Amino acid sequence: MGWQKWLLFIVAGSSVWVLAEVVSRAQAAGPTASSQYVTSGVFTPAHATAASAFKDFLDLHPEHPVQPIAFTHTVHLAKRMQCTTCHVGVNRGPDAQIPNVTFCMGCHMVIDTNNPEIKKIAAYQARREDIPWARVYNYSPSAHVRFNHAPHIRAGVVCSTCHGDMTKQTTAERKVNLNMGFCVQCHKQKQVSVDCATCHY
Amino acid sequence: MSHKWGLVVDLDRCTGCEACVVACHAENNIPTVGKDQAAIGRTMQWIRVERTWEGDFPNPKVRFQPVLCQQCDAAPCEAVCPTYASYHTEEGLNGQAYNRCIGTRFCANACPYTVRSFNFYNPQWQKPLNLQLNPDVSVRSVGIMEKCTFCVQRIKSAEIQAEAEKRDLKDGEFTTACAQSCASKALVFGDLNDPHSEVSRLASSSRATKLLGELGTKPNVTYLERGAWQDANNG
Repeated sequence: MGWQKWLLFIVAGSSVWVLAEVVSRAQAAGPTASSQYVTSGVFTPAHATAASAFKDFLDLHPEHPVQPIAFTHTVHLAKRMQCTTCHVGVNRGPDAQIPNVTFCMGCHMVIDTNNPEIKKIAAYQARREDIPWARVYNYSPSAHVRFNHAPHIRAGVVCSTCHGDMTKQTTAERKVNLNMGFCVQCHKQKQVSVDCATCHY
Repeated sequence: MSHKWGLVVDLDRCTGCEACVVACHAENNIPTVGKDQAAIGRTMQWIRVERTWEGDFPNPKVRFQPVLCQQCDAAPCEAVCPTYASYHTEEGLNGQAYNRCIGTRFCANACPYTVRSFNFYNPQWQKPLNLQLNPDVSVRSVGIMEKCTFCVQRIKSAEIQAEAEKRDLKDGEFTTACAQSCASKALVFGDLNDPHSEVSRLASSSRATKLLGELGTKPNVTYLERGAWQDANNG
């Protein structure tokens, strides 16, 4: 009897999903954009599709996003470069920056110029474009989290705590699952505030 | 030293220009709902300027009163929230944890100041207005209650900066968006625990009063009564 109950559950669940997907697609194609007002009186769900709601609920992310350039953290860190050489501003503000093409080419004008990946970067520079890196770590908008790197760096949290050991990664991978349990555990250990408004606002 | 954030509204100074309302919308990513929704009472504002008229035709007087979340110490909204989304933060603000909010709207019904806004729809910013959103504040989605936070993002960023420079917060170092935009300086924000701050000085004025003070909600917003000097002059 047990497996039949499960089968019923799966069939019912998947048909609801398909229905929700059809409805949300129909709404996406609807007349919302032509509304005269900034926020229209047309109901839209919090997620564009049922699939994205499902992924958000289960906290599913691509663990290893495909990047336009096969950047090798391994090689750069083996040459004794620091994280902050490229990711500047991490100790001063909310974001750790990703360097622009010109910064990469500052060294690669002369170093390893025949590498096909470097040629790709040179091509981006020639077209005056930035490299469209894929985001690796991100919070879902419904998490309502505001994260600031600077106080964490000042508190002596090393980069690898949240980003994994970059000396063993080529392009960045999502090695650490940054859920609330992970954050709160460390906040409790270091006896810093675990008030909701510390991060959620 | 722990902080106790407070705001003083000098009603003698308020000209009703609504710059605070505009600034608040811009700072806190508050959507505008359009006139159809506003007509059925779904306006979204964290601060509003109430207008009342006194006197009859030859000499009517218009009175303005900015009303925002009073950040009560004994807040009616907090007691009724079934999910603890509306709660008292460590710094004594009435916090609203959006993640916890399931949209029962009990808090809005409990609030005697009617300063809470509910997202009946997903907010939309048509391009290119989406580019003006403040990255320091999250965008609330459908089914979430929201309210004035005393610009908690500014408080946090000032505290982080002060901590980085290993010093205490200075009075007037930062302020809320409404107080910053107030041309006549009717709104003053600061730390009530600091006896030398501008806001403490004003809050201890003889004109100081609380909005619906008889309810015992212990608001942290103080109103300075209007017209004491006018009455003296006009007889």
